[in-house]
Amino acid sequence: MSHQRVEQPASGSASEPLQYKFADLIADPVVRDRWEQVRRYFFLRESTYDMTRRCNIRCNGCYYYEGEKQHAVENSDLEQWRRLMQAEKARGITFVVLAGAEPSLVPERCQVCFDEIPLGAIATNGLKRIPGEIGYRLHISVWGDDETSYRTRGAKEMLVRQTDNYRSDPRAIFVYTFTPDNIDQAETVTRLLAREGCQVTFNMFSAPVGYTGDLRHTPNSLSRTRQAMLDLMVRYPQTVVYSRYNAVAHTHRLGLHDLYGCSYPRRNPSTDVGLGRSFRQYRTDLGWDREAACCVPDTDCSDCRHYAAGSAVVTARLFRHATDPDTFRSWLDYVDTYLAVWVRDYPRGANLSQNLVSPPGFDLI
Amino acid sequence: MQAGSNTDNITLRIAEIMIDELKLEDVTPETFDPDMDLVDEVGIDSMDLATVALVLRDEYAVRIDEDDYPKLTTIRLIATYIQDKLDSAAA
Repeated sequence: MSHQRVEQPASGSASEPLQYKFADLIADPVVRDRWEQVRRYFFLRESTYDMTRRCNIRCNGCYYYEGEKQHAVENSDLEQWRRLMQAEKARGITFVVLAGAEPSLVPERCQVCFDEIPLGAIATNGLKRIPGEIGYRLHISVWGDDETSYRTRGAKEMLVRQTDNYRSDPRAIFVYTFTPDNIDQAETVTRLLAREGCQVTFNMFSAPVGYTGDLRHTPNSLSRTRQAMLDLMVRYPQTVVYSRYNAVAHTHRLGLHDLYGCSYPRRNPSTDVGLGRSFRQYRTDLGWDREAACCVPDTDCSDCRHYAAGSAVVTARLFRHATDPDTFRSWLDYVDTYLAVWVRDYPRGANLSQNLVSPPGFDLI
Repeated sequence: MQAGSNTDNITLRIAEIMIDELKLEDVTPETFDPDMDLVDEVGIDSMDLATVALVLRDEYAVRIDEDDYPKLTTIRLIATYIQDKLDSAAA
């Protein structure tokens, strides 16, 4: 596939010869409309919350049961959760991500969060249905076919139980996490989800700190995963919510921090404008630690390719991608995908770029 | 034209761009306090600043580096930053 590198101006240069003005990049009415659509969501400000220490399964490589957060004392006082949400809203948080260990086990806490901040998403294993009154986007984790799920998660017939709970539920999107072991199963799983009328997006296994298991990606598995993602996008366009630039960004040999500079507090010491200033990751005791705050705490940052991380990190790099039409279109596809995955009822458009575009300043692989 | 008045013109133009791009209400370019803290008092964030930076790049052919965003906390500071880069390019 043809690919044009874009030379980035040196940092601190006095001025730059403009190959394309921003006005040129949004001159195409289709591109302008997409830009106007995505920028309406620039008001989103996220923080994440561990909801309970409990989970109904145990998964190999689970992030929640790494590090210190699993030892926090669980707060079950709904009024204190409500006050936390009110305080979060007051400091400008407009989007919540409810996670760890398994939020579906504490629906009353999820309901309190939804009542106070109605935009958000819940990360769940999908085995216990979350009441329909909780109108967040639901991210249902899939780690391979049922045989693999049983081996790595200890739960039988996960896909059947997940789809029984969430087929035809507009809140739900399945998140298929690619490991080196399940790349070839993605087609079978996607076909099944397509048959059930479900949506699917992709995540990459990213090793927790100190992880010594066999799920860490290799250059070969990254390359195979990228191809599998691209193939599935073509074969199941109504089912797969993804873009070519998503595939490039998340299967690059370098992790997200090296490619884009992670903007979460754990890797961003800045207390100034942006995520470094506003993002917090609350534990079940409603406390948070700036030194540990990121979307998936206790991930090895050098190996981080999480979809959640990219959703904030790549999206925030607007300026770097406003260099040429195809790079900008690719970034718009990424943001459009991010919004479709995270914001319920967001009207996603068709991908604008049909090319593989490299991350600004880096090679394609 | 004196550098000072140039900077004043840039300051006014940045205010116009911010009002237009970020759809700020209840303020005009002339009444926009150039020393108001853009984050704490106006409420803009990094994406807003990136958007404004792209429009300023078109207008002045000056790149506002992402690393410099944290120190550009007021319109006056942005105007001075642009003026300095224009002066460096002209020198």
